[in-house]
Amino acid sequence: MRRWKTGPDFRLLAYVLLIGFSLFCVFPLIWLIRSSLMTSREMFTLPPRLLPAALQWNNYLDLFHVVPFGRYFLNTLVIVILNVVGAVMSNSLIGYAFARIRFRGRTIMYGICMATIMLPQTVTMIPLFIEWKLFHGINTYAPLTVLAFFGNGFYIFMLHQFFKTIPIEYDEAAFVDGVNHFQIVIRIIAPMSKPALAVVAIFSFLTSWNDFFGPFLYLNDQRKYTLSLGLKYLISGYSVMGQWQFLMAASVLIVLPVALLFFITQRYFIQGLTMGGLKG
Amino acid sequence: MKRLLPILASALLVLGAASPAIAENAKLTFVYWGSVNEDTAMKEAFSAFEAANPGITIEPMYIQGDISGTEYAAKLRAMAQTNTLPDLGYFRPDQFGEFAAAGYMMDLTDMVQKENLTKAYLPQVWLKVKDRIYGAYTAAECQVMFYNKDVLKKAGVPVPPSDYRKGWSWDQFVKYCTMVTTDNNGKHPGEAGFDANRITTYGVSYQLWHAMLTPPLWSGGGGIVSADGKKVLIDSPESIDVIQKIADLINKQKVMPYTNPSSTSQAGLPTPPVMLANGQLGFYITGQWELLDIAKMNFPMGIGALPIIKKPAQMYVSGASVIFKSTKFPKEAWLLHKWMMTPDKTLNLYTSGLWMPTKASWYSDPIDLKKWTDNPVHPPEFKTAVLDSMNIAQPIPEVRVKNYPQIINECVNPQLDKVWLGEVSAKEALTKAAELIRQQNLMQGTW
Amino acid sequence: MARSSFLATMLRPRRARFLSRYNNFWGWLFLTPVVLGLSLWVAFPLGLSLFTSFAKWDLITAPVFVGFKNYIDMFTSDPLFWQAVVVTLYYTVAGVSLQVILAFLAALLLNARVRGVKAFRTMFYLPSLVPVIVSSALWMWLYNPQFGLFNVLLISLGLPPQKWVFGIQTVIPSLILMSVWGIGNIIIVFLAGLQDIPKELMEAAAIDGGSAFHRFRHIILPFMTPTILYNVVIGIIGGFQTFTQPYIMTNGGPANASLFYVLHLYRQAFLFAKMGYASAMAWFVFIATGVVSIIIFRTSTWWVFYQGDTRK
Repeated sequence: MRRWKTGPDFRLLAYVLLIGFSLFCVFPLIWLIRSSLMTSREMFTLPPRLLPAALQWNNYLDLFHVVPFGRYFLNTLVIVILNVVGAVMSNSLIGYAFARIRFRGRTIMYGICMATIMLPQTVTMIPLFIEWKLFHGINTYAPLTVLAFFGNGFYIFMLHQFFKTIPIEYDEAAFVDGVNHFQIVIRIIAPMSKPALAVVAIFSFLTSWNDFFGPFLYLNDQRKYTLSLGLKYLISGYSVMGQWQFLMAASVLIVLPVALLFFITQRYFIQGLTMGGLKG
Repeated sequence: MKRLLPILASALLVLGAASPAIAENAKLTFVYWGSVNEDTAMKEAFSAFEAANPGITIEPMYIQGDISGTEYAAKLRAMAQTNTLPDLGYFRPDQFGEFAAAGYMMDLTDMVQKENLTKAYLPQVWLKVKDRIYGAYTAAECQVMFYNKDVLKKAGVPVPPSDYRKGWSWDQFVKYCTMVTTDNNGKHPGEAGFDANRITTYGVSYQLWHAMLTPPLWSGGGGIVSADGKKVLIDSPESIDVIQKIADLINKQKVMPYTNPSSTSQAGLPTPPVMLANGQLGFYITGQWELLDIAKMNFPMGIGALPIIKKPAQMYVSGASVIFKSTKFPKEAWLLHKWMMTPDKTLNLYTSGLWMPTKASWYSDPIDLKKWTDNPVHPPEFKTAVLDSMNIAQPIPEVRVKNYPQIINECVNPQLDKVWLGEVSAKEALTKAAELIRQQNLMQGTW
Repeated sequence: MARSSFLATMLRPRRARFLSRYNNFWGWLFLTPVVLGLSLWVAFPLGLSLFTSFAKWDLITAPVFVGFKNYIDMFTSDPLFWQAVVVTLYYTVAGVSLQVILAFLAALLLNARVRGVKAFRTMFYLPSLVPVIVSSALWMWLYNPQFGLFNVLLISLGLPPQKWVFGIQTVIPSLILMSVWGIGNIIIVFLAGLQDIPKELMEAAAIDGGSAFHRFRHIILPFMTPTILYNVVIGIIGGFQTFTQPYIMTNGGPANASLFYVLHLYRQAFLFAKMGYASAMAWFVFIATGVVSIIIFRTSTWWVFYQGDTRK
């Protein structure tokens, strides 16, 4: 990453500010972890303790008795994988079409796709539910996964921007060899767009991993619940003392895979966004 | 031979009458909310039912509900719209009237009358719309006052009376709360040098949502709305007086911590019970269902009579249990419904302190009483302080009065928030609330 | 079809017509998912909700047509409607401004050859990975007047404890502070944008002398304007749709001081069973978002500078 030469004073200031903000970002999460290792009552003592008296690792184990987290994890994984695959596949084709193919009505369609980004979810919620009832999709994973295969305005935008930065000469060379658009996408565009596709994959992973309202609305069978439903259950006010320690432990477990994912794919993320050229 | 026929015939009749016409393999979906303990207890009850009634299987539909029930309501509403309602289960009390009037619940009147069930249960239990029974209160729940014996002892405060009719007067109550409240220098409110920002022990905490305000309002001769849904009571001088008294606990006498506004979901952080257990709070006034958790918290807990403003008052609050009209197995659903209303079958829910029974005998019959109150969870004063007060318990208006959620959430709560914050007087806020109610024409009587 | 040179075919008019048909076919073929998707998951529900917005419907009895009554009621007889608009605007405008400025600053700092950029970046981004439910619960706790960390810190520093999300004047600023916690996303976008500034320009300016501030104002800032525009628009769209945090943390209180628009809408739909009215509210915010975005884009031509060709 290209960075600037700057004077030592500026750098010192920069360090101070950056470290300060990092503490602000990270400390609540440290608080989360420390709470996950405490008993429920210990969490709320005054003055607050930074460290638990005894590390309650059993919170993580007991959690699975209170809530079938293992199953929820698998359920969520299924939904998330389907979402990622659907998002990458459908949006690559769509983004390519907008970026590369001159067809009639392209601009209008693009405008409509962009408009959908601003669609508040609440307005389509109930009509969608009724639709799924007609399709017999209630209490299945269909409403939570199928939509990913139909394109998403935001990802279309991202991939469209990115694809435009790939020199068209590659396409033209391929055309000379007589391939069609589909093969171009698969053989040329996709391999060159790994960062952007990674970004789409990561974002759709995040969204579906953290989704609460979808599973809540559509899933009735407790065995099909996802992690986010399990989490909300732990916040439920019925058991007043509750399960705050389990809530903390569960939160840590839920954030962990995503944090790991981010660690590993950081560079793609940045690259993808860079090439994506948010220059408009 | 001649005698065999009548014997056979009567045998068949007896058999036919004894076993209800159970469909082959009836499947009942039972929808409910609640905590982990409830979930476990419910599932145990279901298994017991299945064992006693072979041929019926139960599919538990467990919905994680927030206390205000918005999500629960949303889900059921969506199911009602698309005809995917379960067979029976819990229902939000504040939406019971609407759904019943729209024909979604099964009419239980005939069955209740035929089996003579009206007297067997507390008078408040059967829920009616236009004189037909469409459901029952799931349990009996009310308001109680918990206290920490050690905190009171340390402050030199006597233990509150255990007879609900002899509760402290409000002034006495405030006096004792003041004695309990101390800042980090040991000073009490009103003494020189008292620092309200450094209070280490508070006197009392009231839960501030609408059901928790109802008994004090009634005790003071006021109310939120009249039971017939026609009159606004919240701006009466008596109601204003009561609300101002409670608000003064926070802002004037400084004996109550401000933890949750009226308008936040009552689920929030478990601040008051934890403070109580940790010795940072003297009295905690809340729903009796918190006994379930408080009993486990290992501190010398007591239950006392609620403070009396003008006269003793108590409320009856609970969720509703209904059978949906769309069920394909009405007879089986009725069996399960009755099963769940039998305290013996779900004894755990009562012994643990979560619920109080709806069956009348469990309040008066010593044997039944012992079954659920004779355990460490229920302190000895439970009977006189809480149980007996159910004799005067009135159901809160949320089931019967139309538009109750709107009245509370749109008109009353936002105004009350300002009172708790000390920004306006109760008179100002409640007058405004009543104005809003009248403006929006919300007093439409009952279902 | 003859596999002649692509370029050659482009130059011949007769071939050009074929080409456009060819492209039309492929273009629309690739677009089938989105076309189907739009019809099924967007157009139909939108249509239904538009229809509903002109009706009175509680979802369990049949809908009743009422014309524009919902819209009129919204503007004239619902005192909370305007409250919701004000709250949402307050949060969005103040929040997005703060977020964009701070994120930009952070990105600039990160770009200044400090060590451990990768570590900083990760730490800044971590909050965005946390599900909103978790962060809401966590911050509700941090903000708790009795047990919360923030008040404990304040008291230990001798400062008066705050009401945070439980105070009328402090609730929105508290939510904004919480939103600043999660600006990792925006920082990364800015970082990406900073990479696009042509190296030669920066070096030339360094050689020419002139302060860092001069470089900032005349080189960095103009090149970053598209990124700023993007972040502002996305921020505003997101801001208008804020729901989960107020729902979980404050339930619109105290005294409706945090009654966000979508929260009010949600209540109308599910707590009060006024689906028609809620649909009208949904359409209003939809249109409002559109109008605001258009205004921003139109006025952006005055201050946004695009390098290279513009799309238009």
